[in-house]
Amino acid sequence: MPIKAYPTAWARHDAVRAAAARWLKQELITPAQRTAIDAAHPVDYYRPNIFLRIGLFIFTCIGAMAASGTVAMVTQFDSPAAVAVVYGIGALVVLELAIKNFRHYHSGLDNVALYTALLAIIGLILYLYFKSDYLTQPEDLFFGQTAGGTLLLLVILAVLAGATLRYADRLVAACAYFAYLALTVNLLLHLPPGRLLLPFGVMLASGAAYILQDKARQRDDFFYYERVLNVIKLLALFTFYLGGNYLIVREGNAALLNLPVSTQIPFAPVFYLFTVAVPLAYIYFGLRQANRMMLLVGLAVVCFSIYTYRHYRSLLPPEIAAVIAGIVLIGLAAWALHYLRTPKHGLTAVAEDDEPHFNLESLIVAQTAHAPEPQAPGFEFGGGSSGGGGANGQF
Amino acid sequence: MPIPRILTDLEAQGLLPPAQTKAIVEFEQNRPFSIHYELRALLYFGITLLAGGLGVLVYQNIDHIGHGVVVGFIALVVAACFWFAARHRQPFTWGEAPKASLLPDYALLLGCLTFLVLEGYLQYQYNLFGNRYGLVTVLPAALFLWLAYLFDHRGVLSMGLTALGTWVGVNVAPLSAFSDESFLRYGLGEAALGLGVVLMAAGLLSEYRNLKRHFAFTYLSLGSNVALLAATAILLGGTAAHLPSWLMVPLIFTLSGFLFWYARRTQSYLFLLMGVVYSYIVLTYLLIRLADDSSGAWELLIMFYFPLSAIGAVLLFVNIKKILRIHAD
Repeated sequence: MPIKAYPTAWARHDAVRAAAARWLKQELITPAQRTAIDAAHPVDYYRPNIFLRIGLFIFTCIGAMAASGTVAMVTQFDSPAAVAVVYGIGALVVLELAIKNFRHYHSGLDNVALYTALLAIIGLILYLYFKSDYLTQPEDLFFGQTAGGTLLLLVILAVLAGATLRYADRLVAACAYFAYLALTVNLLLHLPPGRLLLPFGVMLASGAAYILQDKARQRDDFFYYERVLNVIKLLALFTFYLGGNYLIVREGNAALLNLPVSTQIPFAPVFYLFTVAVPLAYIYFGLRQANRMMLLVGLAVVCFSIYTYRHYRSLLPPEIAAVIAGIVLIGLAAWALHYLRTPKHGLTAVAEDDEPHFNLESLIVAQTAHAPEPQAPGFEFGGGSSGGGGANGQF
Repeated sequence: MPIPRILTDLEAQGLLPPAQTKAIVEFEQNRPFSIHYELRALLYFGITLLAGGLGVLVYQNIDHIGHGVVVGFIALVVAACFWFAARHRQPFTWGEAPKASLLPDYALLLGCLTFLVLEGYLQYQYNLFGNRYGLVTVLPAALFLWLAYLFDHRGVLSMGLTALGTWVGVNVAPLSAFSDESFLRYGLGEAALGLGVVLMAAGLLSEYRNLKRHFAFTYLSLGSNVALLAATAILLGGTAAHLPSWLMVPLIFTLSGFLFWYARRTQSYLFLLMGVVYSYIVLTYLLIRLADDSSGAWELLIMFYFPLSAIGAVLLFVNIKKILRIHAD
């Protein structure tokens, strides 16, 4: 059985069609070329309009719940483990049939079937765990210093990671990422200095996840996993920052020690530095490397850093601070919008849709060289009709 | 990166000539990184911070500057927004007016929002309208609806329709908001139902008479949701003041049927989804009510109705194109 449940061509065709649509808009290819590309990369899977997907999602959920009721009634609740096994296998069969025979591809129906199967499997694991005598302290299951918790997390992570590799579902990938972080925390807490190492451990684990997803983008099956990799990237960026954020570390430390009021933490200057430097680094590298997600996360966490500062020290009354920050932001944005009207340092303030388009005419004419049409100028960079809607027939 | 890989493939398949793929690769590499929307978001965020900060400052210093100044300032903002929008207004048409730029649209929206602030301030401070709450709510409704048609603005239309809903509510049950009785007892449910049906009719009219045809979606989606929600609330709550609640069953089915018909006509899946969900709720409610009496009916319901109806709905969605005879994608 191949690892991937869906044919990889589906994702690749999607990517090619999206690129071709953009190129046509930027006039890098001709309409005829786009038609040919689309014809060579047909959509041969089933993923309907968003409202139909919502409908499929709702009614598959109802169906799944009804099925669980039916299974439970047939077995008369004799053995919960048997119910979970039957139910999980049933959901997997529905899932595989929907993909193989009906070519569903993240249509809402296959998503619910996958979640149902995973709930049954993880429910079964938890049931078996609690039935065994391994159990010590259920309230500290994942973060207590028990070998059982570690084992449980390992098994859950293996299930979720396996499901992500096969089905490339975003929600499952996010759950797998959080299981991975929970496992990191659990392992660190086994060590005597674990509490001190925790922030660094979370940052290291997040950094490792980020590097891994970046490496995975070079692989041949990138298109199949693109959406999953984006989810991991987003979460890794956030957890890397939060792992080093002073407020999170200080309050988390207090929560672990059951302190009523949080107190100063060891290595505080290090966390001051992280709280300030990580957002700035995100914004800088986001701009430098044209990494939009990093830039946006950077902008979001700057706000959290400011909140962190104001949580412990108050510099100015909030209304004065808001007025000053507002003036600074308006000034900065207005200046940047003006300064970057023409591209500078690889950045532009012009919306992507309004960017001056590459003109294909000359190239096509040079290529085919039989039409005696006048040649249009080759490239139309620069120039400044930044205002106004995109399609004005100018290009 | 994936783009060069796609291009190599396309070239190998003979779909793009080599010179063109080279040009595209070059274009993609030299393309500047657009931070247009990020900068615009910063600008809006800055404006919000500034406006919020100034608002608090005004509130704190109201003893020094006086209410008249505050009212004057807000009125000035409203006037400036409307003036700016009016200066860029396109000539009125019953069709869709061409959009010159975004800024006047935002100015109009901001003007409407600050108008509400101004009205609230005047009422709170000077009790301008006294106890005539109907007047307080009908004024923005009328103004916004007029502006929506004048400026061809769907956002302002939604605001106007919301204000209209408030006006209806205030007129039907002026004090229901302050009492802990069920709001349905005051006939609010029927009023909402009526309003929803009227809005739906207005939507159909605008579509058939070609009067701002692109407004039809706003009217119909708002109207049908209000009407169906109200009807479902009356049915489930069972405490209607004037109408018997069983009447809601044929009504919801009729409205859902209308939505199916409209979805088929306009190929809009949103209306289809709404129709299916509301009629499913009513059908399930009816069966549960029927199952109440006889013993053993519950098992049958759980064993057969829920699984089979879910499968039926899924099949309906999957085959919707065939059922509604929609050909174009």
